[in-house]
Amino acid sequence: MKMSNPMKVSDAAALKLEGTKKATKRRGQYGILRNKFLYLMILPGFIYFVIFKYLPMGGLIISFQDYQPYLGIADSPWVGLKHFIRLFTEPTFFMLLSNTLILFALNIVIFFPLPIILALMLNEVRHRYFKNAIQTIIYIPHFMSWVIIVSITYVFLTVDGGVINEMLAAMGFQKISFLTSPEWLRTMYMAQIIWKELGWSTIIYLAAITVVDTQLYEAAEMDGAGRLRKTWHVTLPAIRPVIITLLILKIGTTLDLGFEHMYLLLNSLNREVAEIFDTYIYTAGLKNGQLSFSTAVGLFKGLVGLILIMMANKLAKKFGEDGVY
Amino acid sequence: MKKSQIIAMKKVAAVVVSSALILTACGGENASSGVYDANSKAEISWLNILHTASPPTDTVLNKLEEKTNSDITFSWIPDASKEERINTALASDSLSDIVTLTLLDNSSVRNALKSGMFWEVEPYLKDYPNLAKIPPETIKSASIGGKLYGVPFQKDLARNGVTIRKDWLDKLGLEVPKTTDELMAVAKAFTEQDPDGNGANDTTGFVDRNDLVYGAFKTLSSYFGTPNNWQVSEDGKMTPEFMTEGYMKTMNYMKDLYDKGYINKDFAVTAKTDQQQKFAQGKAGIYVGALFDSKNLLNMSKGVQDDMELVMANDITSTGNESDRAIWAANNGIGGLLSFPRSEVKDEAELKRILKFVNDLLDEDSFALMTYGIEGTHYKVDDKDAATITNTDLWQQEVQPFASSRPKESGYNIHDADPLKQMADKMIADNANYAVLNPAYALESETYNTQGSELQKMIVDATYKYILGEIDENGFNQAIESWKSAGGSSIISEYEASYKATQS
Repeated sequence: MKMSNPMKVSDAAALKLEGTKKATKRRGQYGILRNKFLYLMILPGFIYFVIFKYLPMGGLIISFQDYQPYLGIADSPWVGLKHFIRLFTEPTFFMLLSNTLILFALNIVIFFPLPIILALMLNEVRHRYFKNAIQTIIYIPHFMSWVIIVSITYVFLTVDGGVINEMLAAMGFQKISFLTSPEWLRTMYMAQIIWKELGWSTIIYLAAITVVDTQLYEAAEMDGAGRLRKTWHVTLPAIRPVIITLLILKIGTTLDLGFEHMYLLLNSLNREVAEIFDTYIYTAGLKNGQLSFSTAVGLFKGLVGLILIMMANKLAKKFGEDGVY
Repeated sequence: MKKSQIIAMKKVAAVVVSSALILTACGGENASSGVYDANSKAEISWLNILHTASPPTDTVLNKLEEKTNSDITFSWIPDASKEERINTALASDSLSDIVTLTLLDNSSVRNALKSGMFWEVEPYLKDYPNLAKIPPETIKSASIGGKLYGVPFQKDLARNGVTIRKDWLDKLGLEVPKTTDELMAVAKAFTEQDPDGNGANDTTGFVDRNDLVYGAFKTLSSYFGTPNNWQVSEDGKMTPEFMTEGYMKTMNYMKDLYDKGYINKDFAVTAKTDQQQKFAQGKAGIYVGALFDSKNLLNMSKGVQDDMELVMANDITSTGNESDRAIWAANNGIGGLLSFPRSEVKDEAELKRILKFVNDLLDEDSFALMTYGIEGTHYKVDDKDAATITNTDLWQQEVQPFASSRPKESGYNIHDADPLKQMADKMIADNANYAVLNPAYALESETYNTQGSELQKMIVDATYKYILGEIDENGFNQAIESWKSAGGSSIISEYEASYKATQS
């Protein structure tokens, strides 16, 4: 009730923006001068993107060379698509691609909806202190590093005296070699991600839920809607744009499956399901010193990510939502 | 607070004084002709490998600087990330006056050396008393394409062996094993006969880690007569170790240990620290690794397993014949190079001054300083030059990190008074008589340089899978076939060609 009508405020802002736009067009170059403080505020971000995101892209050039550090980019020999051909013809390529895409799909299908459900559930908690306590507790794992989480998992799951396996043995089951069996890797990977990131991911949804117009809930109540109905017909539609935007953004970043995380889980016995582009780039590129080849792998991975995000954006627009661009 | 302020002031004073010295030194120096002033204070930056958790404090460093008349600035690289750190340093040309290069078979390190990025030092060595003493065979094996691009680290050829709980052997009435079968019997007894006498079935024979080279596998493979990485026949045919009978025997041995539970089940994912902890906690009685680890294992067990007594074995064979004794030599005994990049060491005079510094590091005094620390502070020494560390915690903090700065590790008068360490040193020296070298170490293969470690991964994975029973002999042979077709065949033929070139 306090925030009487957020829709109206934003409408007004949009109108005003429209107004400035027109004004800028009419007055030409005076617009920049008039809005100089706005441009000044953009500047740091702009510089950041140029220095840390655009300039390094020039380095992608070495994926078409046999880059030798002491020769530099200028003198290293050009080899065309050699490294890409090697990537696509190597027997590991399909393993890498499928492992990466499967984990990507699991991330979207299993992990993505969870924070939404949790946020809706938290929203229904009426006791304020209880709600805050729960929120704080589920945020905490986000601040732990993967090294710690994987170490904890190791202590729990090892066959040599790990708690879980001891419990299994005590209950008369066979011990399970979680850490070395390929079948368990994806489950372990997802469980760790959920444990670490679930709480943190609810933040934006919770914020989105708080701005839902309370009048809508009151109206729904008048019509005799229960809690579930209200969630389904009021809350969810209200936060739908947020969900779509986050989904598209997530698709863009999920191909980065977390090098550190996977590198720590990877071993000789689960490599067939655990080796992903990120770990491959590390071993081939940095450890083995093949900078050009690993740049080629990285570039390919970037392209796959770009295609995925464009597809998602198009799909979103088809369903009548605003995309991210 | 006060103390640190005083130290800070001292540092400032030292910097002022030393920079004044450098200024005067520069004034008198004639750079172009390669003449250097041996008495000038050298300012040296050093990219070095750190094997301990944190870098050393300045105590020993100050003494070392005094001793070598230099001003040393270390940039430490943790051992665990040395590959990528050295590679990025090479790629971005952010090097120091001295760069410790330990991975001479890494392709980018090799390419960098061959490119002429570093000074070639062989012609200069004869002018320095300690450097002139480096044996010619060491120089030969540390050379790449016949050229020596740095001062080689002189390490022991073969450092590995088996460490066993002596108190457990005694309790069960067993002898120190001489053959692999006896070793298996000991492992069985340690697993099944409750050697710690606590009434619980909570011990295993072996405790191993996720490392087929520095863990148990490679050392055991030597006992089965496996070559060290490569075997070369009379007529110049090269065979990789995993295509030999010895390798198969070793895999079967490990598989046996695994199937019967004589080894920790999760060895494939156990880290070195966990492995050593398990041994120190009395969960296992056989440790295969560097022989000098025995001293650390015993130290770690203090307060946990106070009854622990250790015995080492380096004469195990699969046949029981003394003539079959063999032990693989890590990197053919070359611990790496101290290299001097041309981008940092600009002229001959500077190079000569730095070589003088390295020469000084090889002195007995410097060795004692970097190994035991400062007499009276870290250790005491008796009239037979036997040193005992008196303050282990302080030694670990201030001295131990310098271990990797020693260009040479043995052949000095001063020695450890610890009987276990002495025994280990003796056995390591003894190992040199039976050392198996890698004939491909100095050979060139383009495919190995670009894809070597990717290919090696296929074999490592298959070896683990065989030991854990996920694939059988057919499966392993299939892995070898795919290794061949993915580039292994090219490595073989390239090595053979390179070998032929060196023979003629």
